[in-house]
Amino acid sequence: MDLIMNLTLNGLATGMLIFLLAAGLTLIFGLMDVLNFAHGGLFAWGAYSGLWIYAKTDSFVIGIVGAILTGFLLGIIIERWIIKPVYGNHVQQILITLGLMLVLSEMLKVIWGPNQLTASPPDYLKGSWEVGGVIIIKYRIFIILVGFLIFAGVQFLLKKTKIGLVVRAGVMNKEMVQALGINIQKVFMFVFMIGAGMAALGGVLLGPYSGVIHAGMGMEFAILAFIVVVIGGMGNFKGSVLAAILVGLSGSFMAYYVPDLSLAVNMLLMAIVLIIRPQGLFGAKG
Amino acid sequence: MTAIVLIVAAFLLLLPFVYESRNLLILLTQVFVFSIFAMSYDLLLGFTGIVSFGHAMFFGIGAYSMGIFMKRFEPTLGYFLLAVLTTIVITGFVSFLVGLLTLRLKSHFYAMLTLSLSGLFLVLAEKWRTLTYGNDGFTFRVPELFIDRTNFYLLCMVVMVAVFLILKRFTNSPLGRVLQAIRENEQRTESLGFHVLHYKIAASVMSGVLAGIAGILYAISLRFVNTSVFAMDITLDALLMTIIGGVGTLVGAIIGAGLIEFAHHWLTELAKEHWIFERWIIFFGIIYILVVMFFPRGIVGTLSSISWKRKKQHSAKKEGKLAG
Amino acid sequence: MKGLLELNDVETFIGQYHILQGISIEVKKGEVTVLLGRNGAGKTTTLRTIMGLNPASKGSVAFKGEPIHSLPTYTIANKGIGYVPEDQGIFAGLTVEENMKVAIQKENEETAKRMDWILNLFPDLKKFWKKPGGLLSGGQKQMLSIARAYINENELLLIDEPSKGLAPIVVEKVMDSILQMKDQTTIVLVEQNFMMASTIGDCFYIIDDGRTISHGTMKQLKEDEGMKRKYLGIA
Repeated sequence: MDLIMNLTLNGLATGMLIFLLAAGLTLIFGLMDVLNFAHGGLFAWGAYSGLWIYAKTDSFVIGIVGAILTGFLLGIIIERWIIKPVYGNHVQQILITLGLMLVLSEMLKVIWGPNQLTASPPDYLKGSWEVGGVIIIKYRIFIILVGFLIFAGVQFLLKKTKIGLVVRAGVMNKEMVQALGINIQKVFMFVFMIGAGMAALGGVLLGPYSGVIHAGMGMEFAILAFIVVVIGGMGNFKGSVLAAILVGLSGSFMAYYVPDLSLAVNMLLMAIVLIIRPQGLFGAKG
Repeated sequence: MTAIVLIVAAFLLLLPFVYESRNLLILLTQVFVFSIFAMSYDLLLGFTGIVSFGHAMFFGIGAYSMGIFMKRFEPTLGYFLLAVLTTIVITGFVSFLVGLLTLRLKSHFYAMLTLSLSGLFLVLAEKWRTLTYGNDGFTFRVPELFIDRTNFYLLCMVVMVAVFLILKRFTNSPLGRVLQAIRENEQRTESLGFHVLHYKIAASVMSGVLAGIAGILYAISLRFVNTSVFAMDITLDALLMTIIGGVGTLVGAIIGAGLIEFAHHWLTELAKEHWIFERWIIFFGIIYILVVMFFPRGIVGTLSSISWKRKKQHSAKKEGKLAG
Repeated sequence: MKGLLELNDVETFIGQYHILQGISIEVKKGEVTVLLGRNGAGKTTTLRTIMGLNPASKGSVAFKGEPIHSLPTYTIANKGIGYVPEDQGIFAGLTVEENMKVAIQKENEETAKRMDWILNLFPDLKKFWKKPGGLLSGGQKQMLSIARAYINENELLLIDEPSKGLAPIVVEKVMDSILQMKDQTTIVLVEQNFMMASTIGDCFYIIDDGRTISHGTMKQLKEDEGMKRKYLGIA
């Protein structure tokens, strides 16, 4: 019981971190038709910048806010200067975002050094609770809560606000949105910024969770996020959260029972989805 | 143009006999190996418009097949051939499968699946310790024929030229023309009655197998193999070489490979002077982004389009004179 | 008086295809101008060029005397041009209400008034207010698309083949609604259905092979049997 509970919470927490990365990927893909291979770089940048600010200010909250702001800023810069010039050319976009990934992670090594850095949660999130003989690690619950909060927030944004409405409309028909007098470029930038911010948040949350951060973590998580995006359906926001939880849980349980196969199982899942339902497991696009 | 190529070829052929520099020989061998790898990549990216982010996978399969056969069995020519055969079978099968799964979908999927699959192979190489000795890898002996550096240098050169000629032939064949038509306009090609998927899978398999062969030569040249052959860096090398050299030209892949391997070598030397050169890849990353943005046809493509324009202007002038 | 919308020798390429090769149109305020011509003549592209969706490579497009041919689509729309595309451009996953909301630029009394008016004209939209746009019938989609273009105080509506694929009875309804909008706004209509065109049009332009080859009042066209037979395939 104890074990299952722990594995579940662990899986959920990991799933939420993947979700924060995958959500931006899928939103950006759905609206802009851009698969951002540099998204993992934003994740790593969130981790480094956030934990650096956390160390300087001694406040985890400021660190998190700093990470998100870093994500926003990088998102704006990348969208404006790197993605936009090659908009509409798939191959060029894919190539350029991968190059960006390379530059982003190398920049991390230039600024913070090539070695991995350690990180730990603030005192109030350290330790665990004991509920009926089950030990629950506080920080895991924190990640799960933040993840759900972000999911609810983005869902609200998409469903209840004008900009969210425009984003959903843009996913279905970009041309018509513009013909109705809306500057889609601004919407693109907004979505890219939000996606980058979420990735950065995921990164800074991962630091204290895994204990160490390194420049390669972006790519590691990005691979999981790609799997999630395929399983959840490219461009499907709700699908991304379900798939992220699925991948997180399967990773957590497999890592315990058959550790060598955990990535393989997720890959297999993705391959199956690609064969039978390339539009994703969770319903139609949108 | 042909003259230049012949001079360079003759120079490279005679080099090991006149200039005794082990380091240069090894470096050039690496250039040949990576030229093969980059050309196999160019077949996908430049000639068919398919983006692979897991090309290291095929490279690594080749390297490990060779390493494992040489280590587990005897380093003889027979086992060498068996390793080559194994590489062809595995890389062929994997690239066929990946192609079958993703090439009917948008171009993102192939990139994504190859990226994740190569990640899987990396994990496999790390975890299947009984076969791969894990992260640290292992050294092995090579067949007698390849022990001599000059022999091996020549072998790699011959294979590179052969691959170049085969690919040149292949891309100029009716099949290759269909591939280029697919790159230009997939729907139109499909509506002309070509079964696009079959052609794309054919390109995928051909490219995968050639990348595997590059991996084999790489492993023999090092007499050592570890998990780094599956790393993202290897794929990035192929990307950088092809893009910077010029996609869809084959020659560009060779020039790109030479450029990057030599730069890698020099910048690593420079790293002793200043630590920033340890991060040499960042320069290439930036150059790569700029090339994709501003010179999407790379060095060879850009140069040839400039000289083509010149020729055109030249001939236009001539015509003008004639008319006048 | 100068035209509300003027196209002067407009040429447009789509990819490598030279679709429009010389379109000159003058749309007068308050009139319904009908673009006629056979399939593939360039009528739809003409509307798309006005909207900036396929920008003109030569010539000029002026709206209220101001050149708009190099502006982005959204700016053109915001100058006061509503667009009903050939495929209606409904956001299939959004409800009727949400489809309208995307279009609404200003939430004010005038918009509320226009909303009341258009919903009165198309009571079906009210009925299916919370239904996804993708589930509407062809005619309802057409109505929604027209309503969406109308909701902002647009001085000009571009409507691309509203009768296409609709049952005759629905066509009549749509036609009737366009007639009712006529006193509030200027309309450019692409229409293959000559009956419909001649009922509601004030003047016409015939487009053939990407060129405007003839124009005049609808009355003139009705009387010119030769022209009708040659370009419109009707006697």
